[in-house]
Amino acid sequence: MEAAVFIAAAAVILVGAVGVVGSRNPVHSALFLIQTLLGAAVLFVLQDAHFLAAVQVVVYAGAIVILFLFVIMLLGVDRAMRLDIEPIAGQRPLAVIVGVALAAVLLTVTVVATGELTGVRRAAGERALDNGLSDVERLGRVLFSQYALAVQATAVLLTIAVVGAVVLTRRHGGHSGPSGEET
Amino acid sequence: MGAEVLALAFERPPIDWHAVAPELVLLGFGALLTLIDIAALERGRALMSALASIGLLAAMVPILTLALDGADRAMFGGAYVIDDYALIMKAIFVLAGYVVVLLSVNYVAEGDYWENEYYQMLVSSILGMVLMASARDLVTIFVALELLSIPAYLMATWRKRDLASNEAGLKYYLMGVFASAVLLYGMSLLYGVTGSTMLSDIAGGVAAGAAPPAVVTLGVIFVVVGFGFKVSAFPFHTWAPDTYEGAPTPVTAFLSVASKAAGFVALLSLVFVGFWNRTDVYQPVLWVLAAASMFGGNLMALRQKNLVRLLAYSGVAQAGYMLAPLAVAGTSAAVADRALAAVVTYLAIYAAMNLGAFAVIIAVARRTASAHIDSFRGLFRYGPALAVAMTVFLMALAGIPPLGGWFAKFEIVLALISASTVAGTALGVIVAVNSVIALYYYARIASYMWVEDPPEGADTSPISTPLAVTAALVITGGATLVFGILPQWVGRFTEVSLLAAAG
Repeated sequence: MEAAVFIAAAAVILVGAVGVVGSRNPVHSALFLIQTLLGAAVLFVLQDAHFLAAVQVVVYAGAIVILFLFVIMLLGVDRAMRLDIEPIAGQRPLAVIVGVALAAVLLTVTVVATGELTGVRRAAGERALDNGLSDVERLGRVLFSQYALAVQATAVLLTIAVVGAVVLTRRHGGHSGPSGEET
Repeated sequence: MGAEVLALAFERPPIDWHAVAPELVLLGFGALLTLIDIAALERGRALMSALASIGLLAAMVPILTLALDGADRAMFGGAYVIDDYALIMKAIFVLAGYVVVLLSVNYVAEGDYWENEYYQMLVSSILGMVLMASARDLVTIFVALELLSIPAYLMATWRKRDLASNEAGLKYYLMGVFASAVLLYGMSLLYGVTGSTMLSDIAGGVAAGAAPPAVVTLGVIFVVVGFGFKVSAFPFHTWAPDTYEGAPTPVTAFLSVASKAAGFVALLSLVFVGFWNRTDVYQPVLWVLAAASMFGGNLMALRQKNLVRLLAYSGVAQAGYMLAPLAVAGTSAAVADRALAAVVTYLAIYAAMNLGAFAVIIAVARRTASAHIDSFRGLFRYGPALAVAMTVFLMALAGIPPLGGWFAKFEIVLALISASTVAGTALGVIVAVNSVIALYYYARIASYMWVEDPPEGADTSPISTPLAVTAALVITGGATLVFGILPQWVGRFTEVSLLAAAG
């Protein structure tokens, strides 16, 4: 069962990764990136890292890639790009070299250090320390007990950041007349 | 599994409401300002500055009751500590914030600014500083740092239509974010080595022999560098002159005093509690930072033509004076207590004299619309009271008795000498040499005001100073004089120790 899920997720990731590099349309590349990140989230679930999986979906797939999409569309490049021009000279050979080197390093590490960093699950004794709670729940307990104050302060921080961002982006500053100004 | 979860039913951590009362008051007033802003829109403008100052003064009440109570309080397993040190720092932040509100009232109301949000930013930033004073674990320190920094980034750009202000905000933001990243990296290394975010646990975890020295060294250096940006120590001061010059002047006053003090309060907690056992790592770093800041700040200040830029570089040098005692703090427990007291004393006096200098600049710039040094020529002819006040603040910054600054410098040098090490004595000599260099540029401004004639064509009718700025001048001037004439009075409040917490 675990092997089947792993193979399915790995296939999703690989297809997505190839899609990111191979798509002619930048919007498609960004969408393939979401697919890759979702596949990685499944792998995290497989490793009992439920919180990481949720963050992967919410933050990376949800927020960051959407930000990519905004930028792509704001720049107006949401159509097929001409791939035969190189903006930076020597970029492509360099990318191939770096890619091959990275693959070589990763393969060497997995071959040399087998058993230390492949998907070995934690021993039962270690898991007993969790009191049968998932990592999401344990994290929640820590956040709302030991770090409760920091969490509350973060809430204030986010509120004030939104207020400030709105002020900075509004077109007219201050009040410009006796009636006030509600642009 | 169901039964186990029930057995682990969530219990609210015990909260000492009295201990967090200053924060709650500030939070309440910040929320009140926001709500009034939403409900009344522009009609609420007149209320904002008054409510902000009432809020800050109200926050002083629980600080005083906690000080009278006298007992040290700790919450969240020691992550949040209320002791004499935290309380004196909270008082400095809140009172400095109050003076900044006084300086802002006319500036913000008369300029073309968003007024309601300005005070919300200010109160939130002070809330972050007050949190920082009590924070004794890495997570709380970091969140407090961001809470005090992000409103400050925004306030630096408050003159939205002025390119210089945009540049000020952007530079401050980019450098600040970069510093936060370096700091976080250092913190993650320390957490990785010690397995705890609590400073008291880190103290044991980084002790010699307990952890790989390379990782500890990197972590300590990154954390010190991260706060080096915040306190604008040389060579991490590059944002300060441009940001100080471009930001609205009351905001500059706030950055140069409160924001710098907040960086120091975190640095003090980290050095005296977290890194206490690794004097071999943090002392050389801080020694170099202190010496470089003193020389770098003072030598660059000599060439400045703009008073705000000059105060920015002088602020770099002042940060150097305050870093100096930390570089010898680890010699012995007695030296450490003396060093901590010296830095806290310096922060209190520096707040008074620097805010006062900015108050005069704001008062004069209302007439001249410039902080260029030439616009202070002949100030004595048409603004004698302002000229006298500015001279008092400048001489205090230079460290001339009987003004507050001399006692602050005296304490610093005493702490350095009391270490009776070569490094400490050398740093004491450097402090003395730099005080002489600094006297030159402070005295030059004074001579411009007293001796020279006003520039041709300048309006030399007497300057009228708004009531709020006058009040700020009286408070800061009074504090500068009292600290100088009755040093034992301020000394009694700054006799604090962090070492008990280190265990």
